[in-house]
Amino acid sequence: MNTNRRVFVSGLAAAVTVASTTMGRAQDKGLIAIITPSHDNPFFKAEAVGAEARAQELGYETIVLVHDDDPNKQSELFDTAIARGANAIILDNAGADATVAVVKRALDAGIPSFLIDREIKESGIAISQIVSNNYQGAQLGAEEFVTIMGEEGNYVELLGREADTNAGIRSSGYHDIIDQYPDLVMVAQQSANWSQTEAFEKMESILQANPDMKGVICGNDTMAMGAWAALEAAGRNEVIVVGFDGSNDVRDSILAGGIKATVLQPAFRQAQIAVEQADQYIQTGSTGLEEKQLMDCVLINADNAADLETFALSS
Amino acid sequence: MHRTLHLSVLFLMCFAALNACKIVKNADPAEAGQAEEAQTDEARMALLSRQIWEPKVLPAVAQLLAPLPDLRAALAEDVDAASAQYGYKPEGEASPWNFAVAGSGRVVETKMKSRAAKVEVDTDGDGAADVTLQLGPIIRGTALRDAMPFLSFSDFRDQIEFAKLAGGLNKMAHETIEIPTEDPIGQTVTFEGVYTFKDLESRPEIVPTSVTFGAP
Repeated sequence: MNTNRRVFVSGLAAAVTVASTTMGRAQDKGLIAIITPSHDNPFFKAEAVGAEARAQELGYETIVLVHDDDPNKQSELFDTAIARGANAIILDNAGADATVAVVKRALDAGIPSFLIDREIKESGIAISQIVSNNYQGAQLGAEEFVTIMGEEGNYVELLGREADTNAGIRSSGYHDIIDQYPDLVMVAQQSANWSQTEAFEKMESILQANPDMKGVICGNDTMAMGAWAALEAAGRNEVIVVGFDGSNDVRDSILAGGIKATVLQPAFRQAQIAVEQADQYIQTGSTGLEEKQLMDCVLINADNAADLETFALSS
Repeated sequence: MHRTLHLSVLFLMCFAALNACKIVKNADPAEAGQAEEAQTDEARMALLSRQIWEPKVLPAVAQLLAPLPDLRAALAEDVDAASAQYGYKPEGEASPWNFAVAGSGRVVETKMKSRAAKVEVDTDGDGAADVTLQLGPIIRGTALRDAMPFLSFSDFRDQIEFAKLAGGLNKMAHETIEIPTEDPIGQTVTFEGVYTFKDLESRPEIVPTSVTFGAP
């Protein structure tokens, strides 16, 4: 655990604010606040790093904050960003419903928000909502899962957090493919809330109740890592595990013959695009683009895993 | 503090009670079930797909339609220029281009028994398949939705609703085309349809809006 992380988890938003503010940029274009879920998940860390790097390149100061998927904490962080007079907020939000009010509050205070990764339930409040094409990505993952499963057998699905639209959309994408194969039978479907430890525990008990299971399809990579660890501990290395995100951890597992596949979300680039649109908006009053934008995902398996690094694929 | 809390709880209870009083009669369970069903994303998007299919979708496909050999030649020369000339894509980086094509060829491979039935077609006469026609009922991808200039993600609640719209349009395509009862392998085929461009190496997976099979 590095020092930055300790600062993030140490709690007080104010402390974080001071700790990670980059002062004294020559161009002095103002301040961009970058708010994401906990950097414990490397996906969110990649977003924050990508956004921060691009913002500094474009001449902005940055503050990097984490809401830990707690809408109350997110609300406090928005207050911090508003009080600091941020020129824009880059946000991976803490809930599709709960976030509408805070984004509105920032807008009323004259601060535009640019959303990445997760949508909110209303349009016309955020300036941009740039999200991965989760449905397209889930279909890619499901097709690969079906193929490796040989179109038959019992399987388990681990779902993400219910408050997050992406949990539902990925599950929907999975089932729109998998349910077409009558010999693939779902024996358990549980939420592990995107969490590795929770996925480990859930997998252990599911495995006990369903020893004949043959595959696990997961809503994200951290849950896939948790499920794989539980399967490995139980000596069930033959079980097929598929994830979603394209993390380095899962890449390494794929290359070592563990997890079979995942789906890459271009998180790093997505965060950078959000900053570029924020810059455009700050300069001209418009991004010139539609509010809601989809970015396509890419299937990662043993064929291309070696080209994956920090949520980006080198070609 | 505690007192306030108790008062609020009391108030809430009264409010709940008042609210309960407003319910005049129980809705017929069958009716309620139907209303509920009509409100699912899938049902609403299926309905929307049906409503826009004739008046808007088919004309938009016709508007974008290019002869497959022309498009293929242009893409081979310059992907970006060909895309800008022939294609349509929703705004935003990493949104792929979509093309509408008209073509014909010979069926060289079939997979008719699958729920995701498809035929592989040789359109350039070299004996090898160069496009896939997806016949369904399971049709993958979102090409039909994403080739429509009048359909914007911003106008939909979230990705789930937008995905169901793509599914609804794919279903309309499956419903519209006539699927041969016998395996069409070796037959000629004339088609129009839409696909999402991946790269020059990937075989286009066309969602057909019309297909006619003929004698070999």
